[in-house]
Amino acid sequence: MDFGFTPEQDELRAQARRLLDHELPLDRILASSAAPPTLDRALWKRTAELGWAGLTIPEAHGGLGLCAVDLIVLLEEMGKTLCPLPLASTDLAVAALTALGDEAQRAEWLPRIASGDVVATVAILEASDVPAAEGIGARATARAGEVVLDGAKLFVPDGQHADLVLVAAREGAGVSLFAVPAAAPGVTATPLVVVDATKPAAEVRLAGAVLPERARLGSAGAAWPVLAHLLDRQAITHAAEMVGSADAALRLAVEYAKVRRQFGSPIGRFQGVKHRCAEMLCDIESARSLVYYAAWALDSAPEQVARYAAMAKALASEALDAAGEECVQIHGAIGYTWECHAHLFYKRGRQSYVWLGAPDEHYERVMGALEPRA
Amino acid sequence: MDFGFSPEEEAFRAEVRAFIADHLPQRSGQDQMDAEEGMKNLPALYKWNQDLHAKRWVGFNWPREVGGGGGTISEQMILKEEMARVKAPMLGLSYMGLAWVGPALIKYGTPAQQERHIGPILRGEIQWCTGYSEPGAGSDLAALQCKAVRDGDDYVVNGQKIWTSLAMWAQWMILLVRTDPQAPKHLGITCLLVPMQTPGITVKPIKEMNGGAMFAEVFFEDVRVPAANRLGAEGQGWEVTKDALANERSSIADVWALKHRLEAIRDLARRCRRRGRPAIEDAAIRQRIARMETQVEAMRLNGLRFVTKQLRGEPLGAETSINKLIRARIEIESGRLARDIEGSFGALARKSPHAVDDGRWQKVMLSWPPFVIGGGTPNIQKNVIAERLLGLPHDG
Ligand SMILES: Cc1cc2nc3c(=O)[nH]c(=O)nc-3n(C[C@H](O)[C@H](O)[C@H](O)COP(=O)(O)OP(=O)(O)OC[C@H]3O[C@@H](n4cnc5c(N)ncnc54)[C@H](O)[C@@H]3O)c2cc1C
Repeated sequence: MDFGFTPEQDELRAQARRLLDHELPLDRILASSAAPPTLDRALWKRTAELGWAGLTIPEAHGGLGLCAVDLIVLLEEMGKTLCPLPLASTDLAVAALTALGDEAQRAEWLPRIASGDVVATVAILEASDVPAAEGIGARATARAGEVVLDGAKLFVPDGQHADLVLVAAREGAGVSLFAVPAAAPGVTATPLVVVDATKPAAEVRLAGAVLPERARLGSAGAAWPVLAHLLDRQAITHAAEMVGSADAALRLAVEYAKVRRQFGSPIGRFQGVKHRCAEMLCDIESARSLVYYAAWALDSAPEQVARYAAMAKALASEALDAAGEECVQIHGAIGYTWECHAHLFYKRGRQSYVWLGAPDEHYERVMGALEPRA
Repeated sequence: MDFGFSPEEEAFRAEVRAFIADHLPQRSGQDQMDAEEGMKNLPALYKWNQDLHAKRWVGFNWPREVGGGGGTISEQMILKEEMARVKAPMLGLSYMGLAWVGPALIKYGTPAQQERHIGPILRGEIQWCTGYSEPGAGSDLAALQCKAVRDGDDYVVNGQKIWTSLAMWAQWMILLVRTDPQAPKHLGITCLLVPMQTPGITVKPIKEMNGGAMFAEVFFEDVRVPAANRLGAEGQGWEVTKDALANERSSIADVWALKHRLEAIRDLARRCRRRGRPAIEDAAIRQRIARMETQVEAMRLNGLRFVTKQLRGEPLGAETSINKLIRARIEIESGRLARDIEGSFGALARKSPHAVDDGRWQKVMLSWPPFVIGGGTPNIQKNVIAERLLGLPHDG
């Protein structure tokens, strides 16, 4: 029994921390957060050379062949400084290609994703905001060796930066997944203006986009079970970033509470402040335990993934939503200023809370598995 | 990460399961006796303790030299988990003897003291009580005033203790007294082992909000305690009574108890009706049950992270206050949630016509303070977390 990380994973964490602190410290994140998000392709390439983009890609396809537990080590560190690199969306695309693609499709995309040349994402959700097969309205129509896609995908993570979008569309009675190059005719990605500028997302429209038949990953209409699993994976990786962010928000608040003095003492001496910090730590550690376990389940216990994804996302949402808010409050008026980093965490918290399902939806999933509704 | 156990550990788990199958007392029918039933069937409970003791599973974490089991951290966790899974009665009958008197004796006791007390604790022959809190010293325990003055070979004790659980039944008390009023408050305290039959001790039970009387006031009037009954040196009492042994910190037994309670709450929600429908279909009730499930899972997994630290030999300190805080929340919420599931019937207590499950949940609703207030209140846990884990300033 060992619920901890290996020395290699600790080293991966330390390496990520050094790189992110050097290349993307919070001040730089803050400075860029006033403008629409851009992707620093050179930095993405550099991290790809370290193996980040290909972390979960098999070695045969140019990746490191590591697992979800390794991935969340990186994501937790990225969350601490709200790093906007598209690692989680890339991982999702990799997982989709690995689960559904045939050897030729994997060989076509995975090496270029691993090298950082192709940024990839997955587009499942739509304006229906229903994370189930019924919620998908985009249509695929097959005709003589081709497939035509029509519809609009929403909340596509990093959709404006992606070169490859894996699009879920209704086909016959089921749902299929297609590898859609962003540059294909009839495909447009429009950035959404999100509360948290460090978490880019887009709408991807498909207007009669024509693709070759081999763009379909897996057999026609059979993708949903895999997509449902991908939504769980996305909830877990997102929650990993959230735990990192919540931890950083708490540390920021605590450090301020140690130095800011009022009524003759550090404000961290007042229980209205210190007890909130203790409660936050309690909730963050709980969310962290659930995220770590859920990531382990992704690698080693697939039957447990859905339950722990729901629990991890629910608790991480509550922990970060509260930590971001408290971080602003504990800073007083300074917390309301653009200069202070507190609002970055607050925005991440408020946005991520509802992103991929608010806690009530996840609690209902936990309950639905135990006590199905009549 | 690896949630598997070694072949030796799995073999140990199998041994525990086999033991349970052979020895756990049977209730009527096929059902095995659970902890609550056990309290009503003392001969079976004593037999159970004897069987456990023969396996050295009472005091399993204590060194073998003193009669303990020398169990590793993993084995302790497995033993507790398997026992809690089937709701077995506790591992041992001398509750406080096992929890802190024994560990203190092992670390600070003289050979004579160990010889005298450890066997009876393991065999469940002697019940201990804990005389720490006083009317003026609760959370601020080190402010205690009950005083002991040396007189020849004895200490003479005068003062009062309060909230002393089981004082009316215990044969011995582990007592904290002030021997040096001049010294800084933590350093003037001494620990004495006191037979409850000693002349000058008066025990007055205190009735609790649930109607029971499980704790008491204890008065000391010129009570003579032989100096040979001092545990540790004079002035060392504070140090002596701090948890001293390598007990595993997974909270696994508490987690299983809470899991069983959650199952019972779900069962209750299937049976009770709200607005004409089973309460289990009510969205608000479902949310609360799922949230509790999630908190209990978090507690279980936090515990596994703490145990991993122990197994890796890393220092483990105030982290365990995190699980105490979560447990306090769950203890309070479970009675409140059951009440809300019952709706208007939530008002009906034991012996009332129409009471659901004979008011079992109303009793839960009235019985959380032992887990929430006893052993350090949530506010005190938060101070500990804020100061020791986050480095925030000490208050006061
Ligand atoms: C069921 C039960 C069994 C018990 N059994 C025993 C026993 O066997 N032996 C024994 O010695 N004791 C026992 N106790 C006593 C227990 O240890 C004390 O009740 C506990 O330490 C709290 O002390 P107090 O009751 O005096 O409350 P107080 O210390 O007076 O606290 C009252 C309130 O003030 C808050 N408070 C106090 N100090 C602070 C602070 N610094 N910051 C913020 N808030 C603060 C507390 O959180 C609490 O909400 C038992 C208690 C219970 C409920």
